[in-house]
Amino acid sequence: MSTTPVTSTSDKSAATPPRRPTSADIELLAFAQAAELTARDLYEQAVAEGAGGDQIGSLAALAAHHDAYAQSLSALLGTDAPQARNDELFSSLKSGFGSNTESTALAAHELENTLVVTHTDLLGRLDGTEGAALVASILIGESRHCAALAALAGKSPVNDIDLFLTTSDVESLAPQA
Amino acid sequence: MNDFNRDELRRALRTPSDHGADAFGSIVKATSGLNFARSLSRRRFFVAGGATVSFAALVAACGGSESTGIARLGDAPTPNKLVEAEVTDITLLRTATSLEHNAIFVYEAVASAGLLTGDAAEIAKRFLDDHRAHAEATASLTTDLGGKAYTQPNPRLQSVYIEPALKLIVGDEATGIPPTDDPAADVLALAYALETIAGSTYQAYVPLLADKSLRVAAMGIGDQEARHAALLGVVLNPARLVSSMGLSIAAEYQEEGETQTAYASPSAFGTQAPVPVTLGAANESGIRTNVNLETPSLNSMVYEYLDAEG
Repeated sequence: MSTTPVTSTSDKSAATPPRRPTSADIELLAFAQAAELTARDLYEQAVAEGAGGDQIGSLAALAAHHDAYAQSLSALLGTDAPQARNDELFSSLKSGFGSNTESTALAAHELENTLVVTHTDLLGRLDGTEGAALVASILIGESRHCAALAALAGKSPVNDIDLFLTTSDVESLAPQA
Repeated sequence: MNDFNRDELRRALRTPSDHGADAFGSIVKATSGLNFARSLSRRRFFVAGGATVSFAALVAACGGSESTGIARLGDAPTPNKLVEAEVTDITLLRTATSLEHNAIFVYEAVASAGLLTGDAAEIAKRFLDDHRAHAEATASLTTDLGGKAYTQPNPRLQSVYIEPALKLIVGDEATGIPPTDDPAADVLALAYALETIAGSTYQAYVPLLADKSLRVAAMGIGDQEARHAALLGVVLNPARLVSSMGLSIAAEYQEEGETQTAYASPSAFGTQAPVPVTLGAANESGIRTNVNLETPSLNSMVYEYLDAEG
């Protein structure tokens, strides 16, 4: 098989999707931004309580990652960005983010898995390609968080490999139509 | 010697254009004594005539059957027309399948050569099974869309990245490449880069796929590839799971020492940048080879027209 140079990059047979978020997209991306700010606050709470041990720097970095996601979503949404966490979600999860490293890591692992499922759900519903591309980039980051947190919880990459590699059977947090 | 007054002609040519007719009249006056017949002697006529004939013969010999009316030297080759290939959903899925087969090739080669043992071999076996499942899934999606599934490693990635990388690890007598000192470490480093690129590829597909439902399927696989890379990051660099590189966090939470090439989580976002991997034995200067793995570009996609080319 050869690798002949090509000139065209687009699928002309399909309708071109919009680049910018549609009004329906904005509602979904705003929800995503609030969820990311919630995750940031939960990690910051765990760091403040001393979770993480030798890996406290990793927990602090995870908080910074979620802050970065929220900021990127804010840049896409402009004045439509809520700029506030989801208080209901924060209240339901905050007890898991305490000083104990193992239990915090497992709670965070569950949260990251839920965010992966939520963002996968969003990808099937967003029309604008800019929003979809950003969510996909966030999703990859959060997939890697899951494996990192399984290790932080003291799990074995061999004996507990499914905790590292398999997405939990959880529901998407995103508002359903 | 000259039959016209050069000084007068120069003055006339220097005359500003707004002098109009006066300037033209000066040129006529300056050239009025010029005898063209005497300047072009009989001998010079034959020399000039011969040159003209020779040039005409050359042009005639070089020209094609169709005259453009423009003289030229040499015969330009007919340019190859570039293929009007479209990056359709089928193309993206076939390319994804080919990338899965690149990974399958690597893990099968590593297993048959016995380069990994113990836990690392167990992990690699699981990854091999996952990539086989991914290849089946993307092939099935391709046929669902009416396309022909691709069942081979991506040829360009194979020749540019995979085969050279494996030669750096196991050595190649024909080209004088010595085997690496630590094959297991190099295989894990290569796998880390390969899995990262696999995740990046599915991520890159999201804004390109026309069918939104395919985004979900693609990122379901991309999610797993990213987790493969992260698990290898845990194995390669257990001391620091999440890099602080590029993050605005307090100094006490920054990592100490040099940054590493592998982390479970190297950055907040999924990368679209090349992933560097250092492989092979050190040369006489103590330097090892750096290879940058990249996601498939337009020229390494598996277009449907390539099937007909064989």
